[in-house]
Amino acid sequence: MNTNAEVTLQTIEEAARTLAGHAIRTPVETCETLDLLAGRKLFFKCENFQKSGAFKFRGAFNAVSRLVRSNEPTQRELHVVGDSSGNYACGLALAARLCGVSAHVVMPNNAPECKKQIVLSYGATLIQRERRQDFPQTIKQVQEMTGAVYISGSQNPDVISGQGTMGLELLQQVPDLDAVIMPVGGGGMLAGVSMAIKSICPDVRVYGAEPEVANQATLSLQNGERFVYSYVPRSIADGVVAGIGPVTWTYIRDNVDDIFTVTEDEIKNAMRLVSERMKLVVEPSGVVGVAAALSDSFRARAVGFKNVAVILSGGNVDLQKLPELLLM
Amino acid sequence: MDANNIVTLETVQKAASTLSGNVVITPVQTCNTLDLLSGRRLYFKCENFQKSGSFKFRGAFNAVSRLVSLNGATPHQLQVVASSTGNYGCGLAMAAQLHGVTAHVVMPTNSPVCKKRTLLSYGASLTQCEPAAQDIAQTMKQVQDATGAVFLSGSEHPDVIAGHGTMGLEILQQVPNFDAIVVPVGTGAMLSGVSVVIKSLCPEIRVYGAEPEVANDAARSLSSGERCTFPRFPQSIADGLNGNIGVVPWTYIRGNADDIFTVSEDEIKNAMRLVWERMKIVVEPSAVVGVAAVLSDSFKARAGECKNVAVILSGGNMDLDKMPEYLQM
Repeated sequence: MNTNAEVTLQTIEEAARTLAGHAIRTPVETCETLDLLAGRKLFFKCENFQKSGAFKFRGAFNAVSRLVRSNEPTQRELHVVGDSSGNYACGLALAARLCGVSAHVVMPNNAPECKKQIVLSYGATLIQRERRQDFPQTIKQVQEMTGAVYISGSQNPDVISGQGTMGLELLQQVPDLDAVIMPVGGGGMLAGVSMAIKSICPDVRVYGAEPEVANQATLSLQNGERFVYSYVPRSIADGVVAGIGPVTWTYIRDNVDDIFTVTEDEIKNAMRLVSERMKLVVEPSGVVGVAAALSDSFRARAVGFKNVAVILSGGNVDLQKLPELLLM
Repeated sequence: MDANNIVTLETVQKAASTLSGNVVITPVQTCNTLDLLSGRRLYFKCENFQKSGSFKFRGAFNAVSRLVSLNGATPHQLQVVASSTGNYGCGLAMAAQLHGVTAHVVMPTNSPVCKKRTLLSYGASLTQCEPAAQDIAQTMKQVQDATGAVFLSGSEHPDVIAGHGTMGLEILQQVPNFDAIVVPVGTGAMLSGVSVVIKSLCPEIRVYGAEPEVANDAARSLSSGERCTFPRFPQSIADGLNGNIGVVPWTYIRGNADDIFTVSEDEIKNAMRLVWERMKIVVEPSAVVGVAAVLSDSFKARAGECKNVAVILSGGNMDLDKMPEYLQM
């Protein structure tokens, strides 16, 4: 079985079969207080409960699993390598371990400590670099030494299909859905989920959400052309500062209805609300969708929307940093 | 309808029907890492997801509800009062608000800010006092004299204990097969209610309490056979468990509890870190005392044969800014 070249409803449904029994079919939770604040019913897809602490596991497991199956005839020892601000590294490390494969992950020095610890706890090799510009060279070095297969955390179609399984689950778990909002960084989740949803229920609106300071996806949609900053923006939402990639851009351009941006304070406010009212441990990137759902710009757009799903993408946060992350 | 004088399986079942539709049937969650660390299968009853942020709402709602039916007077003429280290105050405030009843809560000054804020947000009035049994009793009397409010004790009232017991009924339905249940103990109202249910329906299931070492009044009571108390409240980070074991709860615990395990402050902090980091749920220090107990050496020594253990995570009301402090060992 080869790596899929593109992402379709079929590849997403295949991914769902691959993930069954391995990834968690995460619950959808509700919260009266947040409904009141949003002015509509919100349905939170709790990917903080996903294996390795974030949705990234889905894509990683699908990709590694398919790689192992296609490798079976040769039986040579498999290595995989990926680069990540954090959660994809965690997902890849766990997926590799579960599939009996060696993983190497390249992460920035300033990635949250907890994410580095998780990667190491799953037995992956961790390589840290000061600058993201050095990642491609580092990956090349790993490949030369180990023959590792590079699996992009957001651009690999099998990874995107894995993320798309959240879209399938949401359609099953939430009746009468009007819209779905999710954070966007590299765009793997947004690409996969939008493909799943628009293929089955094109009337359901699909929205991305990102920090104002890292608004590459917004600018891309506005200009009709993929845009990335030449530097890495700094946001407390450390998982979504990367720009969207060339592969995910094509799916986002065709399937996403809009992207909403939120301020750092709005993200912190959302963190506090979800932690205090829903009693869920979430990370700042994880609540960017919540911040968007509560924002004025979303309210203006969402007139008439009764049921909106929001993906809580992960819960890998340095607990020591919590006071700082909540201070507005 | 008379007030129940004692707690029985029947009164808990009645409480369940009173609570039906008004409380959250909280989920039971599992965690591979914690199973590995404890050497057994653990089933966590997540009362941090309960209304008002802790299981206390159950007892409070049952008691207020029965008071309103008993009393006959229109609810808005009714006032209730109680003392609380925090969560019962929040539960009572919310239950009272839902019934249109006025609530007054007496709380020690060192209770978490979020618990004070929460009860005020439900419209209750708050009077603070020193964290000592005598000060609390005195302040309570002052409030009662001033308002004529009915005292609904969070630890002694049978309707409160029966309300808490409904967790036992739910766990028996949600967890197909378990050998033991571990419950944090403060005043003992939860352990009392839950133990009545479990011992009535499945007496072979072990019922264990879990307490901070520094607030080990229940453990000392159980081992000596006589109710032991602290005249001045201990200062465990498990702030909800610093109160003394109540008179009524003691009678049930003495008869029904198989053992009470005590844990150090560091063990509580370690359990906090594990639950937050691995289960991704917000729980307060008091809530994880049962987790700490199950991970402890004394549990392995005294209850090692229990392979499937239910653990109640009692609540999630904590000052998030305190998190680094709660992790510092």
